[in-house]
Amino acid sequence: MREWKQWEIKQLECKDFPDGLKRVRPKVKQLFYRGEWDKDLFKKAVAVVGSRRITHYGRMVTEMMVRGLTEAGYMIVSGFMYGVDTQAHKTCLENKGKTVAVLGCGLDCLTPAENDGLYTKILESGGLVVSEFEPKQGAKLWTFPYRNRIVAGLSQAVLVVEAGENSGSLVTARWAFQQKKKVLAVPGMITASLSKGTNWLIRNGASLVTSTNDVLTTLGDINRVEPQVRFLRLSGEEKEVMELLKREEMEADELARKLNQPIAQINILLSKLCLKGLVEENNGRFMVGF
Amino acid sequence: MGLTAIEIEVEVNVAAKGFPGFHIVGLPTKAVEEAKERVRTALVNTGIDFPQKKIVVNLAPADIPKEGSAYDLAIAVGILAAIGKIVLPASPSQGGPEKKIYFYGEVGLDGGLRHTRGVFLLASLAHEKGVKEIFVPKLSANEASVVEGVKSYPVNSLRQLIRHFQGEKKILALKNLDKNRLIEEAEVDFDFKEVMGQEQAKRALEIAAAGGHNVLMIGPPGSGKTMLARALPGILPELLEEEALEVTKIYSVTGNIEPGGGLVRRRPFRSPHHTTSRMGLIGGGTKPMPGEISLAHRGVLFLDEFAEYPRTTLEALRQPLEDGVVTVVRVAGAVKFPASFMLVAASNPCPCGYLNHPKKPCICLPGQVLNYQKRMSGPILDRIDIHINVPFVEVEKLKQSIPTSQVKSSDTSEVVRGRVVAARKIQEKRLKNDHIFTNGEMRNKQIKKFCHLSEDAERLLQTAADKFQLSARSYFRVIKISRTIADLAGAEGIGYNHVAEALQYRVRNL
Repeated sequence: MREWKQWEIKQLECKDFPDGLKRVRPKVKQLFYRGEWDKDLFKKAVAVVGSRRITHYGRMVTEMMVRGLTEAGYMIVSGFMYGVDTQAHKTCLENKGKTVAVLGCGLDCLTPAENDGLYTKILESGGLVVSEFEPKQGAKLWTFPYRNRIVAGLSQAVLVVEAGENSGSLVTARWAFQQKKKVLAVPGMITASLSKGTNWLIRNGASLVTSTNDVLTTLGDINRVEPQVRFLRLSGEEKEVMELLKREEMEADELARKLNQPIAQINILLSKLCLKGLVEENNGRFMVGF
Repeated sequence: MGLTAIEIEVEVNVAAKGFPGFHIVGLPTKAVEEAKERVRTALVNTGIDFPQKKIVVNLAPADIPKEGSAYDLAIAVGILAAIGKIVLPASPSQGGPEKKIYFYGEVGLDGGLRHTRGVFLLASLAHEKGVKEIFVPKLSANEASVVEGVKSYPVNSLRQLIRHFQGEKKILALKNLDKNRLIEEAEVDFDFKEVMGQEQAKRALEIAAAGGHNVLMIGPPGSGKTMLARALPGILPELLEEEALEVTKIYSVTGNIEPGGGLVRRRPFRSPHHTTSRMGLIGGGTKPMPGEISLAHRGVLFLDEFAEYPRTTLEALRQPLEDGVVTVVRVAGAVKFPASFMLVAASNPCPCGYLNHPKKPCICLPGQVLNYQKRMSGPILDRIDIHINVPFVEVEKLKQSIPTSQVKSSDTSEVVRGRVVAARKIQEKRLKNDHIFTNGEMRNKQIKKFCHLSEDAERLLQTAADKFQLSARSYFRVIKISRTIADLAGAEGIGYNHVAEALQYRVRNL
C-alpha cells in the first residue's frame, strides 16, 4: 500500500517544460512529479480520455486503441480517474508502454483510492505521475477540469473514447481545440448516453476514428500497424452463433431461442468461441470481440 | 440440550401436614414456575377438587435448568396420582414391576392439551431408554408415531386422561406410521416450467442440484432470481428416510412442526432475511438452539440480497459450509448441530441493481459498485462452485422469437428431477468409499482420483485457465462441475464438451 511514497517529489520550472506545455493558457506555474523526467517521453504522446462511467464498449475500444498506439511507440497521457482513464493507463502498462498520469489533486493525495496499485505500477514502468497542485492539495470539483489543460498540453492529440453530454472529457477536448491540437473521437450509437459527447465532438470538428490506423493516419504517422488476419476454422454452428452476435450483443438464452438449440449446446459453443478470442463476455452478455 | 433429550423425573409430594402451598423446585425457569397456575386452574376446571395441602414438585436431576411448558402434564398427572384420583400402572406402591411411562405436554387452563415442541425427541429418548408408552398432546402425537417400538397415546384433555386411567374409556395408541408412505411428492411453490426464459439459469440449477454445488446468482431486480431459487426444491431428490428423521429432529426441537404434523417430508427451503443476526443464522442463544443453517439441513439455504448481509454473518458460514456441522459453544455447554445444506445466494450486481441492464441506466458510482461487490466475502465465494448471471427478461423478445411450430417448451420440474436423481445415484456409487455423497463435496484428493479428463478436454481446460486467468481453486471447480455434467449425461469420463459447458458456469471475477 502506498509504495509510491518512496518516490521523491520533484519540481519542474516553466523553462524546462515541453514546448506544448509552455504554450498552455492559463499558464502552468510549476509541475510536481514523481518518476524520472525524460523530455523524449513527450515527443510522441497521445492523450486518451473518456467518461468515468465506462461501458463494456468503451473498455474494448480503449484497450484496442491504446494497444495499437503503444505498439506504434506512443506514450499515453491520461487523467488517472476511474473509467476510461484508468483503463488507458492499465492497457498501456500491460503492453509494456510508458504512461503519464496527470492528477486532479496533489501528488500525495490518492484519488481515487482504488488506484493505489496503479500509481506504483506507473512509476515502476518508467512513467510519470504529475500535478500542478501542491502535494497536499485535495481533489476539488474545479481541479479536475482545470488540470485537463495539462493533459492536452502534454500530448500531440487527444482521443476521446466515450463521453456523456457533460463529461469532463469534453473539457479536455475544448482545451485541445484551443491549443490547436488534434481532437479525435470514437463514434457510438446515437442512443447510447455515453456516446452523445463523442458524437457531438465529431459534428463539431473532431476527426472520427474507428481503428488504431485511423488514429495513426490522423497523426501523420507512417508507422502503420498492419491488421492481423486471423485464420480460424469454424464449424457450421459456430458460424451461426457468430452471425447472430455480429448483428447484436445478446445473452446465451436469447441465442438458444434464436437457434432453437438446447442451452447446454449453446454454452459449449460459446466457450469455444470465447477461447478462440472471437467472442467476449460481459456480465452474461456476449458480443463479438475485436 | 441442543438436539439431545435428557430424561427428567417429576416427583410430586402432597403432604398432609404443613401450610397449603404449591412449590416447584429443581431450577425451574419462569415458564416452568408458571406451570403451578396452569395446572391448578386446569385441574379445577376439569372438576377436580384441588388439594389444599402442601404440594412440592421436584424436577430431577435438580441441577439442570428446566425450561418450557412441557412439564405441565407430568405435574398434573403426579398430583392426580398423589391424591388418589388415578392409579398409575407403574406406581411402586402397587408392588408390580417397575414400568416407566413418559408424560409430556403443555396444559391449557380448560384442561386441554396444547401442541408442544420436542415431542419427536421425547419419542426418540423413549426408544433409547426402552420406555414403551408415552402420553403426549394429540396435536403433537404424529411426530412421536414416527418412532418405532414406542406406543404414543394422543391426549386431548386431562379429563380424557383421567378416564383412561380409571379404566372408563381407553385412549387408543397411534399406530406407527409407515415412513415411506409419508415421504411423498413434495409440493413446491413453483415448477421450473413456470419460469419464463432463463434457460441458462435453469440448466445451472439442474447441475447444482445434481452435484450438490453451491450457487451464486447475479442479476437485476425482477429478473426471477428468487423464483428460480424457490423452484429448486422441486428438482432435488427426495429426502431419504434417515435424512427425514434428522430434519424432523431439528424441526421438532425448534417447534417448527405444524400442529398435527408428523415426519418432515419436504426438503427444507430456508430463506432468512438479510437482517437475520449471526446467532439466528448459525444457531445460538444462552441455551443453544439451531439456527437457519441447521433448519436448512439436507435442503436449501437461500440467501437473497447476498451482499446486504453483514460481513460477520457471512464469515460465520465458512466453517459449516466446509464441515456440514456447526458447533455452538455457550456457557450452558457446547452443542453440535447438523448443517449440511446447499447454499444458493442471489445478489444484484450493484446497489441500484441496474448495472449492465439493457434498458435502465445504472446510477451508482464506480466506487460504490466496487464496495458492493467487495461485500461478498472472498472466502465464501471461494466455496461457491457455480456462478450465473440471471439477465433481465424482455417479455417482448420472448414472444417474438418463439417459432409457432417448433416451440420447445422447457422441462417440468419432475423431468429435471428424474435426471438429477439418476446423476446422484452414479455419484453415490462412486464416492461411497470416501463417505461423501455428491461431487460438490469432493476435495482435491477425490478430484484427482475420480475426474479423468480426456486429452482434448485437458487441453481445453489449460487454454481456458490461461485465457480466463483461472486460479488453482477455480480450475478445480471447473473440473468438479464438468464431472457433474458428465454424470448428468451418464458419461464415464469427462469429455471436451463437458468441460466446455462447465466453463460457462465458472466464477467470474467480480
